[in-house]
Amino acid sequence: MDPVIELAGLSVRFGNREILHNLRVSLSGRTIGLLGPNGAGKSTLIQTLLGFVPLSAGSANIFGHDIRQQTRELRALIGYMPENDSFIANLTAVSFVRMMGELAGLPHDAALERAHEVLFYVGLGEARYRLLGTYSLGMKQLAKLAQAIVHGPRLLILDEPTNGLDPPARLRMIRLIKEMKQTGSMHIVVCSHLLRDVEETCEEVLILKQGRIVHYSNLEEERRANKRFVELETVGDEKDFAGALTALGCECVGAGLGRLKMVLPAEFELREIYRLAAERDLQLRRLNYRRDTLEDIFLKAMEA
Amino acid sequence: MAVYKRTYSAYEGSFTPAWSRFLILPRYSFAHLWQSKFLVMFFMACFFYPLGCVGYIYLANNLSILSSFGLPPPVGEFLKVQPSLFLYFCYVQAAFTYVLTAFVGPSLVSPDLVNGAMPLYLCRPFSRTEYIAGKMSVLVYLLSMVTWVPGLILFVIQASLAGWEWTKANLWIAGSIFIGLAVWVLVLSLLALALSAWVKWKIAAGGLVLGVFFAGAGFGTALNSVMRTSYGSLLNLTEVMFTIWSKLFRWPSDTGISVEASWICVGVVCATCLWLLVRRVRAFEVVK
Amino acid sequence: MNDRIVLDNVSRFYGEVLGVNRVTLSVPPGITSLVGPNGSGKTTLMNLITGLVRPTRGSIQVLGISPTDPEKLFRVCGYATQFDSFPRGMTGFEFISSYLRLSGMSHDDCQRTTAFAIGRVNLGEAAHRKIAGYSKGMRQRIKLAQAIAHDPRVLVLDEPLNGLDPLVRAETIALFREFAAEGRHVIVSSHILHEVDTISDQVILLSNGYVVAEGKIHGVREEMREHPMQVIIRCTRANLLASRVFEQDHVVEVRLHADGGGLLVKTRDADRFYKALNHLALDGVGIESVAPADDNVNSLYEYLIGGEESTR
Repeated sequence: MDPVIELAGLSVRFGNREILHNLRVSLSGRTIGLLGPNGAGKSTLIQTLLGFVPLSAGSANIFGHDIRQQTRELRALIGYMPENDSFIANLTAVSFVRMMGELAGLPHDAALERAHEVLFYVGLGEARYRLLGTYSLGMKQLAKLAQAIVHGPRLLILDEPTNGLDPPARLRMIRLIKEMKQTGSMHIVVCSHLLRDVEETCEEVLILKQGRIVHYSNLEEERRANKRFVELETVGDEKDFAGALTALGCECVGAGLGRLKMVLPAEFELREIYRLAAERDLQLRRLNYRRDTLEDIFLKAMEA
Repeated sequence: MAVYKRTYSAYEGSFTPAWSRFLILPRYSFAHLWQSKFLVMFFMACFFYPLGCVGYIYLANNLSILSSFGLPPPVGEFLKVQPSLFLYFCYVQAAFTYVLTAFVGPSLVSPDLVNGAMPLYLCRPFSRTEYIAGKMSVLVYLLSMVTWVPGLILFVIQASLAGWEWTKANLWIAGSIFIGLAVWVLVLSLLALALSAWVKWKIAAGGLVLGVFFAGAGFGTALNSVMRTSYGSLLNLTEVMFTIWSKLFRWPSDTGISVEASWICVGVVCATCLWLLVRRVRAFEVVK
Repeated sequence: MNDRIVLDNVSRFYGEVLGVNRVTLSVPPGITSLVGPNGSGKTTLMNLITGLVRPTRGSIQVLGISPTDPEKLFRVCGYATQFDSFPRGMTGFEFISSYLRLSGMSHDDCQRTTAFAIGRVNLGEAAHRKIAGYSKGMRQRIKLAQAIAHDPRVLVLDEPLNGLDPLVRAETIALFREFAAEGRHVIVSSHILHEVDTISDQVILLSNGYVVAEGKIHGVREEMREHPMQVIIRCTRANLLASRVFEQDHVVEVRLHADGGGLLVKTRDADRFYKALNHLALDGVGIESVAPADDNVNSLYEYLIGGEESTR
C-alpha cells in the first residue's frame, strides 16, 4: 500500500526546547492512531504536518507530497478537527460549514448542498439552523467534524475527537469514525490519549513519549496472530481443574476469584478444557482468547 | 424502485479558482452587516452631505437661478467652487467614517479569534494574507463608497458644469481627493482590524477606535503645552490628516507640523497596525 | 407520448434553508403517495411539479411539459393545495365555473362541466350555497372538484382526505382508483399510513428534504435487507415449528409468543421462507394464521424515517 504519512528524521524546536526528536516512520493504514500521554508532542506533530509549525530538521511527506514545498496543495486534501474549541459563535451551523467548504474551494451552491448533507450525516440535522454559540459541547464537536469532512478530504485528522463527550456521544463519534473508515474514501488519523478510542477504530498505532517514537504496531496483524493465550472464569473448585490442565501441558496461573490465565501448548484442542470441566462438574462462565491488548503494549512502551 | 441510504460520499465536482477565495469573507460579512438596520440607515445618512455639496455646486455654476429668486448678484460672489470645498468635504466625510468603522470594525476579526476558529481557516488552502485582504476589503469597500467615490463624482459633476477651462486648471484636485481619502481609508481600516484582533469584547473594540483618536488628541495637546512644541500633534491622527489634506488641497495649514513628518507618521501607524494584525492572525499560540 | 413525471437532480433551497435536495424521480401513471413528516419537503415537491416554485438546480418535466410553461401545464394538471382559503362571497358552483372560464370554455360548457365535476364529488345541492358556510369535508370536496373539473391527466393533491368522514373517504378513494385506471397520474400526500398501503401503487418517502425510498411498496421493503422481514405465525405447536424454521439458513431470529401459541420469525429472504412454510405446515404444527408483520408503509416509515435520531 502506498504510504500515507512518511516522517524522515522530523524534528521541531520551540526556542531552545526540542519538542520532537528525529521521528522516522512510514504509515500506510486506513486508520492511524497517534497515542501518547499529554505533552508527548502529538498535537505538535499534527500542527507540523499541517504546516502551522516549521520543521527544524528532517522532512515529511503526505501522499508523497513534501509538507514544506506543497503545503497549499496538501491543505486542500486534508480535513482537520482541532482539539480545542473552534467555532464562530454568531453563525448558524449551515453557514459555518458552508463557508468552510467554500474556503476549501467548493463552489457556492455545492457548498450549501454538502453542508446540509454532512450535518445530517454527523447527526446535527435537526439543529443545523441554530447559532453555533447555542450548541452544547457534544454538538460543537460534531460541528467541528462536519467542517472537516465537508470538502471530501483524502486525509482526515482528528485531534482528541471524544474530548469532553458523555458516553452516548462518545459512542456516536466512534461509530461515525468506523463508518467513515468503511466508505473507503479517506484515511483517518485519530490522535488521542484514550486507549479504548484508538483500539476500537485504528489499524496502525504510533506511540509517542516526550517527542520520540517509542512504539509502532499494526493492530490488524497483531489481532490475526497469537491465539494461544486463554482466559477462563470458573465457578466451582478450580484448583483441581488447574492441576489437571497443567498435567496436560498447559501453563496455568490463577488470578483470584476463579479466574485462570493459561498458555496452551501448540497442539492443544479447546475441547479438552470442556472435557475436564464436565468431569469435575465445573462451570466455565467465560472463555476468552487473550492477545496482547493495546493497553499492555502501551504500558510496556511507557516503561521503556 | 430504490432505497437511498444517506452515507458520506467524497466530493467529485469542480473547484473555484484560488485567487477568488479571499472574496468569500466579504460576502459573508456583508450578508451579516446589511441585516443591521442601524448600519443601513447610517450608511444612507453618509450621503446627505455629498448631496448637499451637489446642490451647492449646481447653484454655484448657475448663478442665474439666484437672480430668478430675486437675490442681487453680489450674493453670487460667495458661491464659488474652490478647492476648499473639497477639503471640507474630506473633513465631514471623515467624521462619518469614524462612526462607520467603530460599528463595523470590531465584528470582523474578533469572532474568529474569540473561539479559536483561526486554525480552521488556515488548515485550508487559504493563507493569512488572503484572510487579512478579505477582511480589509469589507472596510475598504464601505469606507471608499462614503469617501473618495462620492468625492470624485462631485469633481466630475463640477467639471462637467464648469467647462473644460476650469477642469484643465483644477485636474489636480481629483488626484488629491483620491490620494487623501484613500490614505485615510487605509489607516482607518488597518487600525480597526488591529483593534478587532487584539480586543476581544466587541463594544470595547468599537469604543477604542474612537478612543484612539481622542486619546491621541489629548496626549498631543498635553505634550504640546508641556514641551512647548507643536510636534506633540503627531500623536493626534486627526491633526496629522489635516496637515496632509491641507497640503494636497493647497490650503494653508495651521497645525504646526510639517507635511513630511505627517506622512512618516501615517506610514508608521500603518506598519504598526499591520504588524499587530499579523501577530494575532495565527493558527495557534505558543505557550512559553 | 411521454407518460411520466420526471425530476432530474432537483434541489430547492430557500436561502440557506433546505426545501428538497437532489431529488431524482420518474413517476409512472397510477396512484403515487408522498409520505413523510411535516417539513420533509412534500409541499415543496408538489409546488415544484406544478411550477409554483422554480428549482434552484435541476430540471422537471411533467408529461413532457416543463412547469415553466403554465399555459400548457395547467391544461393537463390539476392542483388541490392543503390551504383552505377561497375567494370571498362565492358559492361552490361559481368558484369552479369562474376558474373554468380561464381555460377558455364557453359559458354553457362551463356550466355543464362544473355540474359534472360537482356530481363526481357528490356535493349536489350544497354547491349553490356560499363556501363560507361549508363544513370541512365540503371544502375538501370543492377543492377536489376544482382540481378535476378540467379533466386533467395529472392530479396533484395535498392531503385530500383530511377531515373527510369514512363514507366520503371511501368515495373519494374510489374516485382516485377510477382516475388511476384511466391511466392518469394521481399524486397524493398523506399521513394515514394504512390508507397509503391500500390505495397506492407506488410510494415516495421523504425525510428532511431527501427522498429516502421510492417505488412499489413490496419492492422497497425487499430492498431493505438490514431490516429482515417479520412474519407472525399462530400455531398450536410453536416450539416444533420454531426448531424446524431454524433449519432454514435465511432465518435470523425466531421469538416465541408469551402464551406459547405462536411465533415471530425474522428472515432475510421472504420468498424462500414462504415456500419453505408450505412444507413445514405439513409437519403437524397446526398453523392457524400467518401474517406479515411489517410489509407495509408503517414499517417502512418507522425504519427509514422514524429511526433517524438527532443530537440534542
